[in-house]
Amino acid sequence: MKPIQPGKIDSIIHEPARLAIMSALAVAPEMTFKELRETLSLTDGNLSVHARTLEDAGYIAIHKTFEGRRPLTTMRLSRKGREAFRKYLDMLRSVIEHGESGDRDAD
Amino acid sequence: MNRTEAEARMHEVQRIMERTTLYTLMPGQPAIVGGILALLGCAASYAMIRSFDFQAVLGLPLARQFGFCAMWAGIGIVAVGQEIAWTSRAARREPSVMGRPARITILSLTPCVVIATVITIKLLMDGLMQYVVPVWMMCYGAGVYAAGLFSLRLPRLLGIAFIVMGAIGLLAFPDCALVFAALSFGLLHIAFGLIVLARSRQDGEQ
Repeated sequence: MKPIQPGKIDSIIHEPARLAIMSALAVAPEMTFKELRETLSLTDGNLSVHARTLEDAGYIAIHKTFEGRRPLTTMRLSRKGREAFRKYLDMLRSVIEHGESGDRDAD
Repeated sequence: MNRTEAEARMHEVQRIMERTTLYTLMPGQPAIVGGILALLGCAASYAMIRSFDFQAVLGLPLARQFGFCAMWAGIGIVAVGQEIAWTSRAARREPSVMGRPARITILSLTPCVVIATVITIKLLMDGLMQYVVPVWMMCYGAGVYAAGLFSLRLPRLLGIAFIVMGAIGLLAFPDCALVFAALSFGLLHIAFGLIVLARSRQDGEQ
């Protein structure tokens, strides 16, 4: 396991709604837009915006298809996203054990 | 970021993972098996009492009355036992996130089962057999609803359906308890299990 850079916070994951999306996708192989929205109690707009940010960062993969005539959007964590999420949790554990951590990566 | 914030975030991450896992690992099979057991119990009950009214049990010889009660107690024990076995299996697969949800489910259901058991004893003592099924439906529904508060909408809907059907059975159709038992503990459980299975399969295929 790579050592954690002290004082570095991944601000893409750090945002609460995005952290919630990453947390849910970390334990489910794949979730539909509707399932995520219900699980996390987010609005459609909120979920769309944050999911797009995570997709742009390469942390999640969004797959759009049709179920009959209805559009079906599913999301899953990418390998890069899983690694970033693991590092973020390591950072949290490190702060809990050793105290303060400072700067954020980038927005 | 300070320690307090980190702890709060870690707690939130854990809560979401538990919530998601409870939903994704919610097994459909035990609900279907429980539903089939309930339907078999209803069929056997009808064969014994030849009526939809549980009150007809009191017309049976004492030994058969005990047999009737033992059969339903057995069905209840087997249904709950296999449910616990499935949940424990899921908890063993994901021990870090399933332990607490499994505990919540058991803790939510236990008071309702205790209350239903006490009321059942009182109803049996007073010879009011027709009210046993609706009481169990409502108590079980309350337990499932409480457990569902920590999960998604589906278990909560199941709980509400049990409470509503139990209330209708109690107030309007106490002489049709067997029909309500078959509809709720039987068919409703099977439908719930099938929906959960269909959703899991859909997730697996995508």
